[in-house]
Amino acid sequence: MTDTLTIARTEEHTVAPRPPRRRRRGARRSWEEPPTAAGEAAKGVTLGGVLLVVLVPLWIVVVTSLSTQGSVNRAGGLVIWPDELTFAAYRVMLEDGTVRTALLVSLGITAVGTLVSMVVSVLCAYGLSRSRSFAHRFLLTLLIVTMFVNGGLIPTFLVVTGLGGYGQWWSLVLPSAVSVFNILILRAFYSSTSADLVEAARIDGAGDWRILWSIVLPTSRAVTAVIALFYGVGYWNSFFNVMLYLPTDSEKWPLQYVLYTYVSRGNGMPGSVNQGFGDALSQTAPLSLQMAVVVLTLVPLLIVYPFVQKHFRTGVLTGAIKG
Amino acid sequence: MTALRPALRPARRNWRVRLRRDRSLVLMALPAVLLLLVFNYVPLFGLVTAFQEYDPLSGVSGSAWVGLHQFERLFGDPLFWSAVRNTLYLSFVQLVLFFPVPVALALLLNSVLSDRIRNFIQSVVYLPHFFSWVLAITIFQQMLGGAGVLNQFLRSHDIGTWDVMTNPDTFALLVTSQVIWKEAGWGIIVFLAALAAINTDLYEAAAADGAGRWRRLWHITLPGLRGVIVLMLVLRLGNALTVGFEQFLIQRYAVGHDTADVLDTFAFYYGIATNDYSYGAAAGLFKSIISLLLIWGANKLAHAFGEDGLYRA
Amino acid sequence: MGIELNRRSFLNAAATAAALAAAGPLLSACGGGGAQRAGVNSESGLRAALPAHVPLSSIKPDIASIAGGPDALTDPGFLTYPANRVATVPGVPGKGGRYSAVVPLWGTIPPADNAFYQAMDKALGIRLEMKPADGNTYNTIVSTMTAAKRLPDWITLPSWWNPNFNTGGLAGSQLADLTPFLSGDNVKKYPNLAAIPTAAWRAGAWGDKIYGIPSFSSGFAITGTTFYRRDVLEARGITADQVKSADDLMNLGKELTDAKAGVWAFDDLYTYLYTSFGAPLKWKVDNGKLVHLFQTDEWFEALDWLHRLATAGYVHPDALAGDQAGTTRFYAGKVLIAGGGTGAWNLADHQNGVAANPAYRRGAFDFFTADGKGTPRVDMGPATSIVSYLNANLKPEQVEELLAVANYLAAPFGSAEYTMVNFGVEGTHFTTEGGVPAPTEAGRKEVQAQTYPFLASPAQVISNQTAPNVTKDLAAWQAANVKALAKPVFWGMNVSMPQAQATAEAAQAVMDTVKDCYHGKKKVQDVKDAVATWKGSGGGDRLIAWMDENVLQKHGTGQ
Repeated sequence: MTDTLTIARTEEHTVAPRPPRRRRRGARRSWEEPPTAAGEAAKGVTLGGVLLVVLVPLWIVVVTSLSTQGSVNRAGGLVIWPDELTFAAYRVMLEDGTVRTALLVSLGITAVGTLVSMVVSVLCAYGLSRSRSFAHRFLLTLLIVTMFVNGGLIPTFLVVTGLGGYGQWWSLVLPSAVSVFNILILRAFYSSTSADLVEAARIDGAGDWRILWSIVLPTSRAVTAVIALFYGVGYWNSFFNVMLYLPTDSEKWPLQYVLYTYVSRGNGMPGSVNQGFGDALSQTAPLSLQMAVVVLTLVPLLIVYPFVQKHFRTGVLTGAIKG
Repeated sequence: MTALRPALRPARRNWRVRLRRDRSLVLMALPAVLLLLVFNYVPLFGLVTAFQEYDPLSGVSGSAWVGLHQFERLFGDPLFWSAVRNTLYLSFVQLVLFFPVPVALALLLNSVLSDRIRNFIQSVVYLPHFFSWVLAITIFQQMLGGAGVLNQFLRSHDIGTWDVMTNPDTFALLVTSQVIWKEAGWGIIVFLAALAAINTDLYEAAAADGAGRWRRLWHITLPGLRGVIVLMLVLRLGNALTVGFEQFLIQRYAVGHDTADVLDTFAFYYGIATNDYSYGAAAGLFKSIISLLLIWGANKLAHAFGEDGLYRA
Repeated sequence: MGIELNRRSFLNAAATAAALAAAGPLLSACGGGGAQRAGVNSESGLRAALPAHVPLSSIKPDIASIAGGPDALTDPGFLTYPANRVATVPGVPGKGGRYSAVVPLWGTIPPADNAFYQAMDKALGIRLEMKPADGNTYNTIVSTMTAAKRLPDWITLPSWWNPNFNTGGLAGSQLADLTPFLSGDNVKKYPNLAAIPTAAWRAGAWGDKIYGIPSFSSGFAITGTTFYRRDVLEARGITADQVKSADDLMNLGKELTDAKAGVWAFDDLYTYLYTSFGAPLKWKVDNGKLVHLFQTDEWFEALDWLHRLATAGYVHPDALAGDQAGTTRFYAGKVLIAGGGTGAWNLADHQNGVAANPAYRRGAFDFFTADGKGTPRVDMGPATSIVSYLNANLKPEQVEELLAVANYLAAPFGSAEYTMVNFGVEGTHFTTEGGVPAPTEAGRKEVQAQTYPFLASPAQVISNQTAPNVTKDLAAWQAANVKALAKPVFWGMNVSMPQAQATAEAAQAVMDTVKDCYHGKKKVQDVKDAVATWKGSGGGDRLIAWMDENVLQKHGTGQ
C-alpha cells in the first residue's frame, strides 16, 4: 500500500522519458507532428469567430454599465458606441454599506455551502462508484428520481420551515446541498479514471476511506475543481431560496439578492400601470445600473476561474502505475 | 472474510456479507441520501394535488378529489399537445445542433498549442452563461431584431429586411443558436476536465507507433471522453421534456404562443399564472413520469451499446 | 427589463414553479378550515359598513380637484411643497406596543433598524419592525407566509392580485375584521383615515365587511392612456386635438413612421385603446343581460384595427417582438406614441426624458371614440391598488393602536406627519431648498424607498416639486378628461369566485391569442376561434352564468 502511494506521488520525477511539464509557451510536444497551415487557419478563423460573438456583447454590457442615464435614453436601449461615460452606477452600489455586509454573507455562504456540498457529494459519488457494491443501484435510482420528480415549492417550504429553517442561513445551504447531476459526473470520473490504481491499492489492503483520500481525490483534481466551481457558482448566486426563506431579513441577505433589489425597481409592478406611487417608485431602474450588476456578477468568476483552469492541465498521476 | 462461505452464485452473495464488505461505501453515500430524503422525498406529498381540484386556501385535505379529471382535461387540450410537440421538436434540434458543440469546442481548444491563447479563450467563452436570458435576448434583438443593427444596415442600403427574431418557421433554429451562444462555453468545462484525465503517455506511445493526429483523436481522445459524453447524452435524453423556461417565456409573444410554448411554460401559464394549480400539477406529473421512462430507456440503450450510462449494466 | 441574476436559481424556480401546482398553501396541513370564497360586496350591505367620509380642509392645493361623474375626481395639484407643515395628529398615536409589518418594495431595501425607522418608532409611539420584501416576487413571498401561517401583524396585499390570490378567503380566516372600528362614524376617531374617499375603502372590503386600509387612493384611477412625445409632435405641427378618432391615429402612424431613420410611430397600444371602440373593460350589462368583453363586436373591431396597425408597419419591431423596454424607446424618440399607466407621468420621467433630450415633454391624447362620434367613456379601475391588512390574531386594543398609527401615516400631503413619513427628519434626512425638501445622503438611503406609505397613506396628489410644469400638464389633462370616467359594472364589489371561475376569468388561451393578434401574427378569426373554445371547454359560459347568478342577480351592478 504505502509503496504504491509513494510510487504514485513520486512518479513524475522517476519515470524517465516523460517530457518536462513546464513547456515553453506555444511549444508542441516532441512527438507531435508540425501543424498544417490550412489546419491552423481554420482553427484561427473558428476561434476568432467564437471570441467575437462573446466579446461584442460583453463590450456592449460594459459600455452600457458605464453610460450616463442620458446616454442610455438617447440610445433607446443598450449602448453600443460609448457616448458619455461615468462610474455612477458602480459608485451607487459600492458605496452602499449594505452591499459590503452582503458581500461577507455571500462569501460565508459560498464557502460553507461549497464545503458541505463537496464533502457530501464526493463521499456519495465514491460510495456509489464501485459497480456491484451493496445497494448501489438502489441508491443511484433513489438519487436519479429526484432529478425528475419534485413535490413542489410549498411542500418543500413547509418541510424546511417545519425543521425551523425560516429566517436561518442553513435554509440557503442544506435544501440545495446535493446536486445529483454533479454527483453523477463525479461518479463517472471516479469509476473510470482511477480503476487500476484503486484495484492495486485494494490488493494492498487499503480501506475505502484511505483510497478515496490518497488515490481518487489526488488523481481527479480537474473534476473536483469543476464540480466545486459548479457548487460555488450556485451558492454565490443563490437567490430563490433567499426569497423563500429570508424574504424580509434584509440584514442576512447575500450579495446577489441585495444587488437584485437595485435592478428590480419598477419591474413587473402592475400597479405602475394604474397609479403612481410617487416619484421614487414608478421609474424603472436605469439600464446602466442593471448592466453594472451583470459586470459585478462576472468579476468574482474572472477571479476564481484561473484557479479552476489550473487543474485542466493534462493528467498528473493517472498514468503513474502503468507508466 | 469473503471466503468464509464459498458462494454458489458469487454475484448474489448473502446481503449481510455484502453489506459488511461495503459498509464504508454505503456509509459514504448516506449523508447525501439523507438530505435528499428530507428535502426531496418528504415534500413529494404535494403530488397528490394533481388528483384534486386544488384550492390553496383549503389545502390538500380540504380540496375536492377529482380522480383523473385533470389528466382527462390535459389529454383533451390541443394546447397541451402542441406544447409537447414543440418540446420534443426543440429537444431534437438541440440534441443534434447543440449537444456536439461543447465537445467539439473542447477538442478544438485542447488542440491550441499556445497556453496563453488557450487560457484566454477558455476564460472568456463561458461568460455568456452568466448573462440572464432577458439580457441575452435583448442583445439578440438589438443585433438581429426588426430595428436591430443588421436590419437597419440592410434598410439603409435598400436591401430587404431579414426577419430573424419573430419568424415562427425558424424559431427552433433561433433558440438553438441562442443556447449555443449562451451555454456552449460553459458546457465545455466538464469535457476539459475529462480531457485532463487522459494519460498523455498514451498519446506519446501512439505517436511512436505512427498514429497521426486524427487517429490519436479517434483512438485515445474520444474513448477518453466517451464515459462523460454518454452520461451527458443519457441525462439529456432523460431531460428531453425540459428545454428551458425563461427563454421561451420571454420570446413567447415574438413568434406566437402556439409556436413558443413548451411543457414548462404551458404548466406555468395554464397552471400557475391562472391559479389552476391542479392542472399544472397534472402537467408536471405527466412530465415527471415520461422523463423517468425516458431516462430508464436511455440507460438501457446505453447498456445495449455496451456503455455504462448511469451505472454499469 | 429585469435582470435575472442567477440561472441556476431561476431554473430551480421554473422547475418548482411548474410544480407549484403541487404547491399552493397546504393550509389544512396546519389545521386551516375550508375556503371562504363567497364574499361579494353588495351595495346595501356595504353601505352600512363603509366609513364616513370627512374631507380635511387644513391644506389647500394649488390646483383644486375637479369632480367628474360619481366617485370620479381629479387629483389635486401642488406646484410647491407647503411651507407651513401643520400637525394633524396631537401627541403620539401609539401606546408602546411591538409589531411587525411586511410591505412590498420595488427598489433598494433600506438598512434594517436604521435611524429613520427609529425616528418613526419614536414619532409613532410603538416599536414597528418594518420588513420590506422584494416587490417583484412579493406574491410568492406572501403565498409562502400564508402557507406557514406566518403573516406579520400588518401586511400589504395589492388589490390587483384579486380574484386570483383570493384575498377574500384570507380575509375570512387570517385577516382582522376592521368594521367595528371604522364603519360609519367610528372612523371619525381617526380623522386622516376619515379623509380617505369612500370609494377607496371598497377595495379592502370583503363580504360587506371592512378589512383593508387603502393607500395611494385616487379618484382618477384608470388603466392608462395613450401618451405621445409632445415636443416632437408639436415641432411637426401636430397637436393633441387633431386626434379625434382611430383613423386620425392610424394616419399619424403613416406620417410619423420612418423605419430608415429608426423611428416608428407606435409602441404597444392594446391595453389602453380597446375601450375607445366602445368595448367594456371586462363586463357590461345590455338590457339586463350580462355580456362579457369577448362577446362584444366592439372588441373585435378594436382587435382588427390594432392588427392592421401592426401589419401596416407602424409599430416598433421590438414591441412586436414582445420587448417591454418601451419607455426607453420613448425617451430615445424611436417610438413617438405609446400606451401606459398615468403613474408614468411624473418627475422621474421628466428627468429621464430631459437627460436624453432637453426638449422632452410628455403629453397624452384626450380620450376619443374610435369613430369620432359621441362622447368618449373610460371605465374606472378600483380607487386604489395598494391595501394593507391587520392580522386576525391581534387583540381589539392592538387593532386600535395600529389604526391610530395608520391615522398618522395617512396625514395629508404637506402636513408635519406626511413630511416625516415621506422625507424623514429635517436636517438628518432632508434639507429645505427653495421651499422644496431635498433628501440628504441618509435620506436617499433610508427614506426614499417608500415603506410606511404602503401601510396607509392619504389620497394621491400631483406633485413634482422641481418640475411644476409636469404637474400642470398632468392636472390639465386630468381636468379635460375627468368627465369621461365612468364606473364599470361590478365596480368595487370585490368578487371572490370559485377556482374554476377564476381560471376562466383569466382566459389565458384567449389573451395569448389576443396578444399574437395585435402583434400582427394571428388574425381576428383566430381570436374568435379561441373565444369559442374558451366559452366551451375553457369554462367561459359557466363563468358568465356564475357571474350572472351569483353577482348580477343577487347584488346588482354596483354602479
